[in-house]
Amino acid sequence: MLLCVMIATRSGTVLLERYHGLPPDERLQWRSFLLKLTADNLKTARDDEQFVASHKAVFVVYAAVGDVCVFCVGKDEYDELALVEVLTGITGAIKDVCKRAPSERLFLDKYGKICLCLDEIVVQGRLEQTDKDRVRKLTRLKPLAEA
Amino acid sequence: MATLGGSQGGSGGGGRESVSLMDLISADPVAPSNEGSGKKPPGVTNIQLPTETSSPARVLSPPTMKTGLGQRRKKPLTYSQLARLLADLAASPDLKNAQKQLLVQVFPKLAVYSSVDPSLVPALLQLHELADDRHVMRYVYYYLARLLAESGAHGGTPAGGVPTPNWDALATLNVAGAVTRADVVPQIVDRLIAEAANTDPAAHPRRIAAVKTLSFVPVTSEEMLGKLYMIVFKILDKVADAGKLRRKKGIFGRQTVDKESATRSSLQYAALSTLRRLPLDPDNPAFLHRAVQGIACADPVGVRHALAMVSELAPRDPFSVAMAVAKLSLAGGSLQEVLQIQDVLARVYLARLCYILSSADALDEKPDLKSHFRTILYQLLLDPSERVCFEAIDCILGKVDGSEGTEIRARGWAHLITAILRFPEPAPVPNKDGASSKDGVAAPAKEGIPPKIPKDRQAPRPRRPQPLIKLVMRRLESALRNHSRPVLHGAVRVVQEMGKSRAAAYAVGGLGIDEDAHADSTVDSVAGDSADADEGFRSKVSPLPSSISTGGKESVSSMLSSLMEAVRITVACECVYVRAAVIKAMIWMLAPYESVEELKSIIAGELSDPAWPASLLNDIVLTLHARFKATPEMAVILLDISRLFATKVPGKIDSDVLQLLWKTCLLGCGPEGKHTALEAVTVVLDLPPPPPASMNGFTRTSTTDPKSALALQRLIQAAVWFLGENANYAAAEYAWESNTPPGAGLLMLDSDKMVAAANSRNPTLAGALTRLQRCAFSGSWEVRLVAAQALMTLAIRSGEPYRIQIYDFMHALAKGGAQERVSDFAASNGEDQGASGTGLSSVISPMLKVLDELYRCQDQLIKDMRSHDNRKEEWTDDELKKLFETHERLLDLVSLFCFVPRSKYLPLGPTSLYLLNIYRNRHRIDAHMGSNDPAVATGISDLLDPTIVAGGLSELQPLYAQPEAAAKPATPDEDEREFNEYHDIVWNIPAQETVNEFLGGGGTEAPEADSSDEEVVAARPSVSYEEIFSKGLIESDEEDDRSSGGSSPESSGAFSGRNFGSNRYASMFAPSTAARTSWDKPAASFRETKTDSPTAETSGVQWSQEEEPSSFNEEPSQNDDEDLPDSDTFSGTALYDFVAGGDDEISITAGEELEIEYEVGGWYFVKKKEAGSDGKLSGLVPVSYVSAF
Repeated sequence: MLLCVMIATRSGTVLLERYHGLPPDERLQWRSFLLKLTADNLKTARDDEQFVASHKAVFVVYAAVGDVCVFCVGKDEYDELALVEVLTGITGAIKDVCKRAPSERLFLDKYGKICLCLDEIVVQGRLEQTDKDRVRKLTRLKPLAEA
Repeated sequence: MATLGGSQGGSGGGGRESVSLMDLISADPVAPSNEGSGKKPPGVTNIQLPTETSSPARVLSPPTMKTGLGQRRKKPLTYSQLARLLADLAASPDLKNAQKQLLVQVFPKLAVYSSVDPSLVPALLQLHELADDRHVMRYVYYYLARLLAESGAHGGTPAGGVPTPNWDALATLNVAGAVTRADVVPQIVDRLIAEAANTDPAAHPRRIAAVKTLSFVPVTSEEMLGKLYMIVFKILDKVADAGKLRRKKGIFGRQTVDKESATRSSLQYAALSTLRRLPLDPDNPAFLHRAVQGIACADPVGVRHALAMVSELAPRDPFSVAMAVAKLSLAGGSLQEVLQIQDVLARVYLARLCYILSSADALDEKPDLKSHFRTILYQLLLDPSERVCFEAIDCILGKVDGSEGTEIRARGWAHLITAILRFPEPAPVPNKDGASSKDGVAAPAKEGIPPKIPKDRQAPRPRRPQPLIKLVMRRLESALRNHSRPVLHGAVRVVQEMGKSRAAAYAVGGLGIDEDAHADSTVDSVAGDSADADEGFRSKVSPLPSSISTGGKESVSSMLSSLMEAVRITVACECVYVRAAVIKAMIWMLAPYESVEELKSIIAGELSDPAWPASLLNDIVLTLHARFKATPEMAVILLDISRLFATKVPGKIDSDVLQLLWKTCLLGCGPEGKHTALEAVTVVLDLPPPPPASMNGFTRTSTTDPKSALALQRLIQAAVWFLGENANYAAAEYAWESNTPPGAGLLMLDSDKMVAAANSRNPTLAGALTRLQRCAFSGSWEVRLVAAQALMTLAIRSGEPYRIQIYDFMHALAKGGAQERVSDFAASNGEDQGASGTGLSSVISPMLKVLDELYRCQDQLIKDMRSHDNRKEEWTDDELKKLFETHERLLDLVSLFCFVPRSKYLPLGPTSLYLLNIYRNRHRIDAHMGSNDPAVATGISDLLDPTIVAGGLSELQPLYAQPEAAAKPATPDEDEREFNEYHDIVWNIPAQETVNEFLGGGGTEAPEADSSDEEVVAARPSVSYEEIFSKGLIESDEEDDRSSGGSSPESSGAFSGRNFGSNRYASMFAPSTAARTSWDKPAASFRETKTDSPTAETSGVQWSQEEEPSSFNEEPSQNDDEDLPDSDTFSGTALYDFVAGGDDEISITAGEELEIEYEVGGWYFVKKKEAGSDGKLSGLVPVSYVSAF
């Protein structure tokens, strides 16, 4: 289960979050945990440099791209390496929508489209699409297997 | 901490993040470039901002810009404005312009809000019907799906965001009044069902979106579920045989995908995806059929969903699944094709499926089939993706969901080091003619190994069989050289799993696994299919030939050493989580006969890094616990390692977890290891005490983190309690098994003789006793208190000469001045314990009274017996009754301090048993008398966690109440069980839960996200436990760092209960002013019991009445004066300046002469000759501030 996908700025401002299978009180705790993780190491992190953390049997993988950083939290089959797939899918889609590594402003400008992309990548706590071409087609309601 | 506009938890204040999101709502966004309208609106400038963060100033004055609709907006759009705009635009006659505006103005801004208002649905449905813009339609599906998801979640929204305002404000939007979710959901469902049935090929993207949206419908009834199944199966009926994508040559010789087949595969994917989200229906053969059919789907994501469903069905009915899959697999090679598929998760599910089927007993009659699945599983070890390869290794090792038994894991390890991958005959490669990767069928590998390798793998020349262990080792070593942290973490976790399976193999034993065998030799020497070896393994693993001369070939153990070398190097990773995983892996891979020094030095080095969070360190201690459970003979080694944690980072280790490890090791390490186990605990007591907080007049200043010092103190308390509770077990010394006659102790009043006798009889217990005695002097007040309680426990449970030794010691303790006899002051923490030595008088006096009473009654019994013997008289019934009542009364008294098995414990000594039995037999009295247990009867048990009471004490009750048990004397087994049950109850259940949860891999519980220094206290998993038992202690911990040093009023007052279990019995002696109210109940009920008890006659009542004031310390009354010979007024000198912090305290100046009236809970009530700066003549000061004469 993909428990959480969160997008925040490098300075710790949450921009977008999706939770699955987490009660509301745990969401807050996870959010704090994730933001605390970034406090030390994300300010100087390179783009797309992947970080890993864990808590009990839950895994966290996160990376920064441009001004924003993307967190993925999962358990069971979504271990650290599966989360890398999710993370790559999300960062790829963000870069695709924003045309480059996004600034905070650019991210907010494309907020709606990014929500649609995320809706294609993670559905009900499961990874759906990873290929950015497919994501692009699905967010535009285009046929998937068009030549 | 910044949050998303306070979307969760109602912290809706305006942090800067909410400003950012509100900025999105307020600022006009970038105009759509060429996507929507195809041309730029006039006057639009490129307002793309540079990459810098949008500052609040920028947010407040967003750049002026024009949208295509020529509107200027600077004020934020409220939610109701957005909703109104949506309704207006949906009904607008100029649909083209309305759609543009929706895309730019409305939909992106609505996405910021946390939930979707049902009043928007009419407008959305209207757009669904009329809109022709695909982007608008996609947004419509998005919002409909969110609304359906929120309906199912009962208000709990999966999305975060700015909280959506109250719906009532929007009620006016709908003429008919407020729209509820219950109204709109059926409308949406009907519309989507109709769309899902649309077979127009041109509309299939919308059909796919509609099917996907339908999967969000809350399944509230069977009917709805049936409808959804029907829709999905209907689509699959038509498209499931779509097969491969057909291609045709287009103009200019380019290949294009056949549109119809592409449409069918897309629809099949959408249907499979929806089916995956619906509940599994194992009883429906159509479900399995369609899922298996999906494995041949042309869409890789569809294949993934199909494999996920099939692998979930496989454990329920492996035979049917295997037969269904085999049809595909053997005929067309679909499973082999999945090996080449692009989707990583699809291959992960394939590994699981193959493992489940290859290890299913139901398929024993189909060895070929099992071998086929097993070969595919082995082939996945060569997968270019680490995720897939690691999953395959886990499966081979027998780990799928973490709940596997030791047997399976042991078999997995044997499998890994003995099995051989034999490559199948090369299968025809699908879409050989260079199909593009976009169709996902013949996709090149994109990571790890270069994409050419799979082609090489499919080369027609036969490949040499490979031992699995070599493949795995090679792969793991290569992963450990990777620079990606997730890969490192994953690889090290796989090594952990290897260690677990290896430990299981050792535990099962006798499997004939020879790790010194040469892996290569097995390829040459083991004949036949590897499946045969596997079948043979069930009874006995086929021994590997270890004597074959294999020059240059690697043995399993040498490969393991090489792997562990790579793991050790990984500890240099800068990520602390990876390092934690490395240490866990090393703990798991540690063999019982190996040296532990290297691991210890690594751990010691790591522990000196302050970056380690407490939760990770506790995880490692739990790993030690799990390792012990797997290999009990490693108890001593593991305790040795745990000692590092206790000594190096005591402030970060959860004392509950550490205690549990001690206890488990103590119980599991056997008779010869008990002494070592106890030594591991006592080492904590030898830790350098935290330096006292700097005091006026002292030049020393504390450099230690006060929270760490506090945690260390708690750890020491835990160790002291542990010693008290377990020393008797470790030393196998029980009063009820002692052969020493009760009076013998009195003959050894010479302390030197006593200590010598104690040492010679039982050095383990004597050692524990010495440590406890030292703690009773040298620790902080809290430690001294626990030490006194522990000593009392020992006194009650031990026979002579230990009891008399403790009695003598306690006397000295109560009177004071005996410090030099036992403890060197230099070994203390520098705190001045005051005149009486410990500040424990009020705690010790009831203990002494009980011991006095014990000895007095024993003397009386001896006298009575002698007089009866001399007079040669039988004991009369009245005399026996009196004796029995005394026995019961004493039992009640000692039970207040610690648990003793009532049926066996003889407070009057072994000689009383004969007489007691006469009386019991005459009156048919149950020896157990459980209902009279004062811990239950006085209501102390009410203080226990209800679940513990329900699960623990209530279980004890039937034990006492069973008539069969009452009729016969208790057997040793029963008592042992009783004692063990007591242990199970007393031992901290939350820590046990933590361990079980850890072992079970549970982890949804959210982490504590406090700052690192707060973690020391707040991030303990046992907070809830402590809340129940020692709330006062926690409150004190949180607000008062001074208490680490000793006798502050907060620390003494807050010590209303211990979290080490003893509080349930001995906590009645907590002298608490702060927690007085919480102790009213036990105090009252204690009195009640004493007076109500039919057996409690004058002495009992008297004892109780005398005891109340001193026990509960409600008022430092004259009773203290009566009880304590040294409680007369005496004089003293103030050592340091003290400033009164409360009304009842008094300020003193260093050197001032004082008259000490009495001591109460670590405080002296003193009188001064002249009033000081506060104008008071009398009041309380801490004992440590005064030197008493």
